[in-house]
Amino acid sequence: MFKRTTIADIVQGIIVGAVLAFITANLLINAEVNAMQTTINGWSITLQCGVPGNDILLRAACAKDIPAANLPEEAVYWTTTVDGAGHALNGQHDYILHFPPGGLPPNDAFWSLTMIDANRLLVTNSIDRYSVGDRSGLVSNADGSIDIYIQNTAPTGHESNWLPAPSGDFMLWLRAYQPGAAILSGEYHVPPVVEVK
Amino acid sequence: MMSKMKNEETKSEAVQTRGGRKTHHLRTFALTMIIAWGLGTFAFIYFYPHLMYNAFEKGIVQHGLGGGPIPVNTLYAVPNLASPSASSNLLKTGTNQDTLYIGGWLDLSKGPQVLHVPDMAGRYYSVQFTDPSDGTDFAYVGKRTTGTQAGNYLITGPGWKGTVLQGMKQISSPNNSVLVLGRVFVESDSDLPTAYGLAKQIQLTPLSGSIQ
Repeated sequence: MFKRTTIADIVQGIIVGAVLAFITANLLINAEVNAMQTTINGWSITLQCGVPGNDILLRAACAKDIPAANLPEEAVYWTTTVDGAGHALNGQHDYILHFPPGGLPPNDAFWSLTMIDANRLLVTNSIDRYSVGDRSGLVSNADGSIDIYIQNTAPTGHESNWLPAPSGDFMLWLRAYQPGAAILSGEYHVPPVVEVK
Repeated sequence: MMSKMKNEETKSEAVQTRGGRKTHHLRTFALTMIIAWGLGTFAFIYFYPHLMYNAFEKGIVQHGLGGGPIPVNTLYAVPNLASPSASSNLLKTGTNQDTLYIGGWLDLSKGPQVLHVPDMAGRYYSVQFTDPSDGTDFAYVGKRTTGTQAGNYLITGPGWKGTVLQGMKQISSPNNSVLVLGRVFVESDSDLPTAYGLAKQIQLTPLSGSIQ
């Protein structure tokens, strides 16, 4: 007949406890990844990673979400997988990102908008363009605003402002290096990506 | 009659003992489980950055960034911007299209390292020093923090005592292991050779090797 021993109690306790610990820790880290993001117009940003003195949960969440990321003072990153209406970005649709006059991300170095697919890989395209930004020859509208055309096929007449999208789901990554004070204070908001009907 | 009662008493004692033993086992199991759960949760969260950065260390030291393994205490500059056909997994995901990357892993346990930076002539660049135990970016060399003129930076491990040579600035690392990540701005395709030429000159030497 099976006889319970104290050793068996302890070993089983450790095994069950460790499994529960693994699950609990992952739930807590994932919750913190969400909690540390500020999301406006579909764009998520965190200004807390890499900074000295973070608590252990925030450190873990940063290591999971953007390991080896810059300090916010050096560079900030916004990401989005949804348009302004909250629908998933997908190359079956065409989108425009409209920056009003003077509405580009303020910075002392440069900014860029990069396209990546659902696997976070750069997207092969006919013009070998993986990002647009301050050096890519974006053409302003008459009022000084800028439209970026985010779509799978080239927008006729607006090729200079085309960021090629894959045919499926995608993600956008907006960077500003040496970001301006309005970004670091949270005053600056990236405009929403808008689906073109 | 008496003997029958005594018999019953003995029986019920035995049942109680068996029940007590069961409770005892359950209590030991539950107590161990709760302690393991609590400590384990804390430990997993605490060591999570360490686990992640271990993968970076392996990636850099064993696989490199496309140019073969990058030995500890050396830097490697990636000659091209990221592309869908990049050979390094580290450079395939989440990378920018604006800068060349420089990568390396420091071990300061055998002495400080000196980071040499050429005159970057106003160009944006940064060299980020990250503590792999907690992911803190504890220091930067670069346009924002130190300017773009040429310079030598002494990177020292915890507890290092010595004299910093004249003309060098000290960067005190809280950890003997350090992730070094550099970024050098590329203006355009035609600017790439110049940017790469500068990126290659951002190099490390052991302290002893730099004493003239």
